[in-house]
Amino acid sequence: MEGMAGQKSSLTWVVNISAFLLVLLWTIPTLGLFVSSFRDRDQIAASGWWQSFSAAEATGFVRTGTDADAVQVDGRYVIEGTVLEGEQDLVGWGIRAREPAAFAPGEMTEIEDGWQLTVNEDGSYRLVSDAPFEMRRGERIFTTTTVPPKFTTGNYQRVLTAEGLGRAFMNTLTVTIPATVIPILIAAFAAYALAWMEFPGRALLTAAVVGLLVVPLQVALIPLLRLHNELGIGKGYLGIWLAHTGFGLPLAIYLLRNYMVGLPREVIESARVDGATEFQIFRRIILPLSFPALASFAIFQFLWVWNDLLVATVFLGNTREQLVMTGVLRELMGSKGGEWEILATSAFISIAVPLIVFFAMQKYLVRGLLAGSVKGG
Amino acid sequence: MELFWLAVSTIAIGVFGCVAWFWGSNMVLDAVYPPRGPRAGDNIRKASMIRPWLFLGPAILFLGLYLVYPVFDSLWRSLHNSDGSRFVGPGNYIWALGDGKFRESMLNNMLWLLVVPALATLFGLIAAQLTDRLKWGNIGKSLIFMPMAISFVGAGVIWRFIYEYREAGETQIGLLNWIVTRLGGDPQIWLTLIPWNNFFLMIVLVWIQTGFAMVILSAALRGIPEETIEAAILDGASPLQVFFRIKVPQIMGTIAVVWTTITIVVLKVFDIVFVMTNGQWGTQVLANLMYDWMFRGTPDYGRGSAIAMVLMILVTPIMIWNIRNARKEGR
Amino acid sequence: MKQAMLATAAAAALLAGSAQAELVIEPGSDDRINWQSLEDFKAAHGDLAGQEFTVLGPWLGPDQELFTSVIAYFEEATGATVNYSGSDSFEQQIVIDSEAGSPPDVAIFPQPGLAADLARKGHLKPLGEETAAWLAENYAAGESWAALSSYAGADGQTQLFAFPYKADLKSLVWYVPENFEDAGYEVPETYEDLKALTEQIAADGETPWCIGLGSGGATGWPATDWVEDLVLRLHSPEDYDAWATNDLPFNDPKIVAAIEEFGWYAKNPDFAAGGPGAVSATDFRDSPKGLFDSPPACYMHRQASFIPSFFPDGVVMGEDADFFYFPAPADGSKGQPVMGSGTLFAVLSDNPGARAFIEFLKVPAAHEIWMTQTGFLTAYTGVNAEAYGDPTLAKMGEILTNATTFRFDGSDLMPGAIGAGAFWTGMVDFVGGKSAQEVADAIQQTWATLN
Repeated sequence: MEGMAGQKSSLTWVVNISAFLLVLLWTIPTLGLFVSSFRDRDQIAASGWWQSFSAAEATGFVRTGTDADAVQVDGRYVIEGTVLEGEQDLVGWGIRAREPAAFAPGEMTEIEDGWQLTVNEDGSYRLVSDAPFEMRRGERIFTTTTVPPKFTTGNYQRVLTAEGLGRAFMNTLTVTIPATVIPILIAAFAAYALAWMEFPGRALLTAAVVGLLVVPLQVALIPLLRLHNELGIGKGYLGIWLAHTGFGLPLAIYLLRNYMVGLPREVIESARVDGATEFQIFRRIILPLSFPALASFAIFQFLWVWNDLLVATVFLGNTREQLVMTGVLRELMGSKGGEWEILATSAFISIAVPLIVFFAMQKYLVRGLLAGSVKGG
Repeated sequence: MELFWLAVSTIAIGVFGCVAWFWGSNMVLDAVYPPRGPRAGDNIRKASMIRPWLFLGPAILFLGLYLVYPVFDSLWRSLHNSDGSRFVGPGNYIWALGDGKFRESMLNNMLWLLVVPALATLFGLIAAQLTDRLKWGNIGKSLIFMPMAISFVGAGVIWRFIYEYREAGETQIGLLNWIVTRLGGDPQIWLTLIPWNNFFLMIVLVWIQTGFAMVILSAALRGIPEETIEAAILDGASPLQVFFRIKVPQIMGTIAVVWTTITIVVLKVFDIVFVMTNGQWGTQVLANLMYDWMFRGTPDYGRGSAIAMVLMILVTPIMIWNIRNARKEGR
Repeated sequence: MKQAMLATAAAAALLAGSAQAELVIEPGSDDRINWQSLEDFKAAHGDLAGQEFTVLGPWLGPDQELFTSVIAYFEEATGATVNYSGSDSFEQQIVIDSEAGSPPDVAIFPQPGLAADLARKGHLKPLGEETAAWLAENYAAGESWAALSSYAGADGQTQLFAFPYKADLKSLVWYVPENFEDAGYEVPETYEDLKALTEQIAADGETPWCIGLGSGGATGWPATDWVEDLVLRLHSPEDYDAWATNDLPFNDPKIVAAIEEFGWYAKNPDFAAGGPGAVSATDFRDSPKGLFDSPPACYMHRQASFIPSFFPDGVVMGEDADFFYFPAPADGSKGQPVMGSGTLFAVLSDNPGARAFIEFLKVPAAHEIWMTQTGFLTAYTGVNAEAYGDPTLAKMGEILTNATTFRFDGSDLMPGAIGAGAFWTGMVDFVGGKSAQEVADAIQQTWATLN
């Protein structure tokens, strides 16, 4: 790793700083989502996530109690209560929506019918009248408050305790693991054949694979589901594995073939001369050397299957027993969407497993280097 | 727990089935044409004619059934009316040429094709090189890679926190508008700013795909033999020269692969546009237009398929380029 | 790592618990509900034990819970098992499933256009003359409900293919009564008053309307509702019907006038909060929040009966917010037109349970159980109107059942490519600056090329 002999320290600084800036730029959007996933809906709408660590000013209104809450003090009628909750600080208050901060804390104003309203700094209000109150609903007191930064794990609680999430987690794993492993196996063999075996039509076949990369998923849904129904596979795990395998193969073959073409020719030739069969070459030489490529494709396929909702709803169905994680999260968000906090939280929960996989796989990405005998395509 | 065992056993069966096929079929082939004995040469020749197809067999079966068959199905559909009951010949294609939204989509797709693969590959290469020899490189890589792991819907939300618009004077909750207002500008409705909104959408895809480019390119960079680089350094090459003269040419093949792959992702780009603008305000792209006609309102499968065919035809130049490449490598 | 993952999974599985549906209201306990009708239904269809069928619909989240609570009574009465699954890409999924030959047994269509299309392709099963007659007789404005659910089948014969259950009322304007009182504004009684009020609020230096057309993939639809309401107010119901079938071209001066009328509200920076730019960019779900800002960002919001779900937490209907009918012209020439929409249940298989479920929807209790909860309106005149869970719903229910001129959301009646496509995008373009004529011409041109 420390191969760069004679590196100037100023260069190291430049590299460090520019790398840091790049990483920062790439992280900011996700950071926004992360911070937002700990805020509640009203706060998300009230201020930017980057301001969530400082106190924010918020306006709102509170209703006073009604005549039922009034008590008689010294012959006058009084309704008392507070306009603040939690750790808010009162900045100003008012009684009309148009002037929500017409009065400072501690001031008194007269509402019609000789009612007198005072709101104090600590948020307590006192509504006083000589005659008994008659009101069908409480008077509105508009408040302008500063709210200290507030974070909640409520969003995570709500998503994690969602009905059926555990089941969905298992379903997703059941879908994802075979749908990752099977295409890799099939593609590795095919890629080896395309890279190192001589046979007519090889170039054409390679190009066909590239061409198939572009087939839009949507055109395949109806014909394939019909095919599954006619074959008697119907909707189920077998169907979705086959579908994901089919859709993932072109990229897998393309990436792996390209990597394998770049493997050192001498190693393979000498193995052939030694009388190794193609299968032995594949198993003993190609597979171990291709590990970084296999690992990177595995990550991509895993991510794609993990985050997929479309293929799952079409080929697996979406009854309670069959729902995958993305399906449950969708249900949580509701048909009309708009719940940013749940979206943000869901995104982070569904990201967790793929990230673990990425970290676990990173070791193998490095292994290609340690093997020391691989060169780039 | 029952479900768990079901899952485990099905996984085992699926994986075992694959391995069994490759191993078994090779055994059979070796048994039928043993590579020894009096006719060894003849047998090896015959076996090596058949063996590629054993290796390719399952892949061809899957590709044929899951991709080639739907392509022909759409070709057929694209020549028929909305529900496939009447042959209309090239009618759907003629309609497309005259349709304003289709032309807009073609134009936008071209723009996407130029910008996104170039930027994503470039940033990916820079990220791979910069983080490669840093102590915290792996963490940096993971962070750049993270967008890849977020679903498109999630990405849509993330970027709403960037592009969100509030009226001037109100608290901006979109980062970009907050910065703009801080600098004294007026807040903009970024996603409706024709034609710049296209670029705002492209940034999202670049942001996602850079992680892909970085992972592949970084594996390739690490594959460059140390001796080559050390030799260049000993010759007095500056780090920049090493990068551009030695490393980049060495991994040119991989760069081409990354470029091609992202180009194809761009051709299929759908989710981002669907989630963020649904092709309004002049941001329509082919894949989303196709989706519109296939599933929105009263579906017209004929037109949707015609658009899909155009999408697939657009990839032809890339295919030709790849055939040439494969031939060149074909020694 | 693997162990950790499994542990998480096990913990999550424990948390999930069981999800057996329960009856939300003990049968016989709430006397607003016609329990006898449920008993009668049970007597007629109580023999479906062991039957199982699937229902696919667009409802998720709270709506899904509410609908499942109704299903529970059907299951209890018949012994059948109903698997409801909701999908926010319902339209796509129903097309794929029915085309591929694995349709659900019952589908709930949010728009008639798609149902008509599937009926034409032969995927829906006719519900029979009897049900059509029942609808005409028992639903308010029943003939139009039946017409909405009747389509030409694969054989070209027009029959009843769907059953409307759950309605939405669209011609409503939402406001904050106390803000009106504070500013001295009166609820407008006529369309002229509404325009005068709009001008008055603007003259006071305030913004009268909050309009938001954003809706992700469906951006633009709130504007189509506006235009439809205005067509009914500027012209006649007959023109409206002709427009929905394109007998009156989209670029007819009458329709262009209605679009321009919408522009009078939406394209005037003094009348719509944020100006035209914000109108097309603001999400319809965020748009009504402006009513509750202090100072208020706007005073009125025209939107359908479902919108209170998107009001800020803690808003009490009838107290903090209320609605009035989007008024008709003073001269009375247009009557009191009401626009609405409904979800349509269709049967896609021969499952006896699915048939019985449609019969279940004719039972008053099936409506009342949802009515007593929230978010449900029905045009069924045989239900107990007192069952509505809150006075706001009751008030809407009254508008719905008393409607004389009742029209369905026109964009739902138009072909999908128009009503869920060109019309939406056209309205976004219109607010974005194109002229009404230009937009109408473009939509008409798209309509003309449909095959």
